[in-house]
Amino acid sequence: MMPARQQIIPYLFLLPALFLLVVFNLMPTIATLFESMFVISLRSGERVFAGFANYNRIFNDPIFWKSFQVTVVFSLLVNPIQIALALGLAVLINQRAPGIGIFRSIYLLPIAVSLNVTAIVWGLMLDQNSGMVNGILLQLGVARQPFLHSVDQALWSIILIASWIGVPLWSLFILAGLQNIPPPVLEAAKIDGANAWQSFTKITLPLLRRVLAFVLVADTVANFLMFAPILLLTSGGPQLSTNLIMYETYRRGFLYGDLGASAAMLSVMLLIVFIIVGIELYALRGRD
Amino acid sequence: MTSRARPTASSAASNSKPLRARAQPIAVYALLILGVIIVIVPLMWAAAASFTPNHKVFEYAYPFSWRALFPVDFTLEAYDNLFDRGFGRAVGNTFFLAIATVIIGGAVNALAGFAFGRFEFRGKNALFLTIVMLTFMVPVDLTAIPRYILVNNFGWINTWQGLLVPGLANSLVIFLFRQFFAEIPQELIDAARVDGATWLRVLISIILPISKPVLVAAALLMFISQWNAFFWPLLIAPTKEMRVVQVEISLAIGQYGTVWNELLAGSMIAAIVPILLVIPFQRYYVQAITGTGLE
Repeated sequence: MMPARQQIIPYLFLLPALFLLVVFNLMPTIATLFESMFVISLRSGERVFAGFANYNRIFNDPIFWKSFQVTVVFSLLVNPIQIALALGLAVLINQRAPGIGIFRSIYLLPIAVSLNVTAIVWGLMLDQNSGMVNGILLQLGVARQPFLHSVDQALWSIILIASWIGVPLWSLFILAGLQNIPPPVLEAAKIDGANAWQSFTKITLPLLRRVLAFVLVADTVANFLMFAPILLLTSGGPQLSTNLIMYETYRRGFLYGDLGASAAMLSVMLLIVFIIVGIELYALRGRD
Repeated sequence: MTSRARPTASSAASNSKPLRARAQPIAVYALLILGVIIVIVPLMWAAAASFTPNHKVFEYAYPFSWRALFPVDFTLEAYDNLFDRGFGRAVGNTFFLAIATVIIGGAVNALAGFAFGRFEFRGKNALFLTIVMLTFMVPVDLTAIPRYILVNNFGWINTWQGLLVPGLANSLVIFLFRQFFAEIPQELIDAARVDGATWLRVLISIILPISKPVLVAAALLMFISQWNAFFWPLLIAPTKEMRVVQVEISLAIGQYGTVWNELLAGSMIAAIVPILLVIPFQRYYVQAITGTGLE
């Protein structure tokens, strides 16, 4: 549709961005898989091809499996909790009530704040000796809780910290989905005698399916990579109870210098991310 | 949990209009306020504690009193000490990096978005799917180790290039630009082309001036994600001179672990910049982050 001479223009416009994406994103993705097949030789310091040795090592390593298990448990808890609360929050801030704009603005605050800051502030809020949460529990007559220092509570504390940002963040997507539902659809349901709960479950939720599917995948992937709160607050402890897999790859790769094992774990994670995203693409395509 | 309250409150009263009008707002506001408390209290305490002498940081938090939320023993001690230790350097570094990302990255991504949004050319869909979509799907932190090895080979450890260049091209921002540019009426472009304008001139003089929403959204997204970036700067530029704010406050946990007020002062500086940007431009910011999820 355009003269041939101009056909070069779009490629020129694409060149800087695509070059950078290929070099700094695409190549490292492939290199992760590649790197997982090498080990650094202890004797010579050189990189030596090792086939699947790194995979063998991590698959026979109880710390990796423990980390994997913690990550699965974390995912099964944090994602449903965040999405349920985000859905509730989205329905709330979708109400046409006076002053709702102020509430919406306030709920944006955690989204702007970094996960590091959130981890630092909540880490101190949850301090086992003098944190505010224990301060409030004291007023309520509840015994002091160890939170991040307890095998039973540390992962829940991380879930709380992640959700402080996650719930408002994902609620924005769901809110946008709610606002895309044409009001006549809901009015028609009301005329047909549906009560609010029925119209929510029978009409609103099915219409939110695409948004919820997206949120489920994006949330799952984001939480799968949870890192900063672990580095800053627990270092994976106590007793590896918060040793999420992203932190384990960092510990292996950068603290112990075992880049091969680290790359093997990252390759496993890449595969999992691709499966999650693939399921989403498949599910969304099927419905159109 | 929260989602149930509204429908049940209103359905219980669905036969009497006046009651429903009252019952629903009360339940809605009660839940809204509960949420606000959870959002605001940690931030208020952290801000108040950052203006408090270190030995009094937890004084009103345990046992809890309302004083914990206000700087009743006001002092700038934490901020003074923090900047004496060179925190200003990290703030400057992060501002420089975020602004450079917005300007250079903005240009790079806008050009790509323009090409994808306004041109038909051979391989367009293939390039979009294999490069933009694929990089969008793979979280950058997952590929940090080979990226680190690559950048190390370039000799870019502890350099501005190492911090800046890998994050310039951003598939989410390319998405945003593509979507916006694709909806601009063809007549505007045709008129300029008839007058002999080059495509670059069309982009700069015709398209960009009417693209304020996407420019603001993309700038916010790039600025805030660079300001809040942590994992990559931690790996690539850990030395004191090159540290960014997020790395500086994280390392402070280990180094000055008991100087709580300074830790919180650093955190508040790290938090206030994106907050001050998001509040006035919230409409654009929300568009920017939800823009791709709803395709």
